Amino acid sequence: MEEKVMLIDVSKCTACRGCQVACKQWNRLPAEKTQQQGTHQNPPDLTAFTWNLIRFTEISAKDGGFRWLFRKDNCMHCTDPACQRACPVPGCIFKTAEGAVVINRDLCIGCEYCVNVCPFEIPRYDPVTKKAYKCTLCWDRISQGLIPACAKTCAPGAVTFGPKDKMIAQAYARAKALGGDATVYGDKFVKGTHVIYVLPEKVRHYEKLVVNPSVPISVYLWKDVLKPLSVLGIGAALVGTFFHYIIKGPKRPEEGGE
Amino acid sequence: MNMAKPKNLIYASTIFERVVHWVLALSCLFLFVTGFGMMFHSLSFISRLFPAIPLISHLYPQRYATMKLLHNIDGIIFAVAFLFALVAWGKDTLFFDEDDKKWFRVLGGYLWEVEEVPEAGKFNAGQKTFFMVLFLFWFVMVGTGIFMWFPIFAPALTRWLYVLHALGTLVLGGFLVIHIYLGTYGNPGTFQVMGHGYVGKGWAKLHRPKWLRDVEAGRRSI
Repeated sequence: MEEKVMLIDVSKCTACRGCQVACKQWNRLPAEKTQQQGTHQNPPDLTAFTWNLIRFTEISAKDGGFRWLFRKDNCMHCTDPACQRACPVPGCIFKTAEGAVVINRDLCIGCEYCVNVCPFEIPRYDPVTKKAYKCTLCWDRISQGLIPACAKTCAPGAVTFGPKDKMIAQAYARAKALGGDATVYGDKFVKGTHVIYVLPEKVRHYEKLVVNPSVPISVYLWKDVLKPLSVLGIGAALVGTFFHYIIKGPKRPEEGGE
Repeated sequence: MNMAKPKNLIYASTIFERVVHWVLALSCLFLFVTGFGMMFHSLSFISRLFPAIPLISHLYPQRYATMKLLHNIDGIIFAVAFLFALVAWGKDTLFFDEDDKKWFRVLGGYLWEVEEVPEAGKFNAGQKTFFMVLFLFWFVMVGTGIFMWFPIFAPALTRWLYVLHALGTLVLGGFLVIHIYLGTYGNPGTFQVMGHGYVGKGWAKLHRPKWLRDVEAGRRSI
């Protein structure tokens, strides 16, 4: 199975939120009580049962007017996922051949490590079921040759899904065609994400979009430095005491015996 | 206790000290075993020791959840036991005197031949250091552990708790190995302090001469 990428061209998004509904429907996620925040964005944030959210930002444009920015927010499906590095349970967070990063909820123990290390703040914890949840890139669909539910339902064609190289090439072509501040977001960090944006405006204008995301340095320190060091340290102490015993020898009371 | 005092042996550790020490020792080892079970996927077999707990299996439906729960509960046991250790040994450990400074210069004679090892009281400078480091990392491990268990802080902060907790594993792991070695094979006659609590006079003269003089002169009972 080849790597696939979801391309989100936010310049085509009309904020109809059909993808939010399709996501809930396919993944059988319950509707949630929400709150009117005086914005089109609804619900206000991702939750354990809202894995896909159109974020809404209003910015003033150079011509004195304003612009509405819609961004479909969901898991980026990193090639180097911090959540998977942090997860203590083997096999609980896994990657599929297509590049989807999935939480196996049967194995999840609700430690919230993934929630706290994700550079995009994607996984959300549900205190009732004591588990973390997030977008699966519809791995149950794409492994059968279908496309994710959100891409399937997207009417203006803002969300498309296909082979990695083809989608990245498309993204750059589209950014070039848009011109101005338009950029491609996603292929350059965390070893490439499997969700890639075409953004007509600068990255910093979009709500909750991290300008230069990476696996947090704390995760490297924790998992790649201190974790092996702890074994090395304990091993060194064991070896050290062994050599101390055979070279320097134990400290015996002079009288001997008791 | 002193009624049954064996000949030539000196009572060196009360039943309170010994129970506290055993609770610390066992809870500490259990923390290491379960902690390593969570840190290393390659040690996943450790989790097989912990099946789902009956009655609350709906809350902790799989063995890693059980293991983590027991790790956390054991953390509380260790944390509380250490408070009792402070009561038992704080007054004899949380300071350095002149002899201790000299002790550090020769590292207690443990690493190279020295003419004379400075005299120690109930605990030598190395033991005191061990206790102080343990005290320091008590704050680190309890402080980070509680908020790993109940992550109420922002993710950007909580991530660093994981780092500190792992640092504690490294430091305490190394210390633990050396501590156990010095309490057993490294210093024959020592381990019984954790057993029946009595030591030989020769042992006391070698390891804690100042304490021995105090006890023999009746200046302290233990």
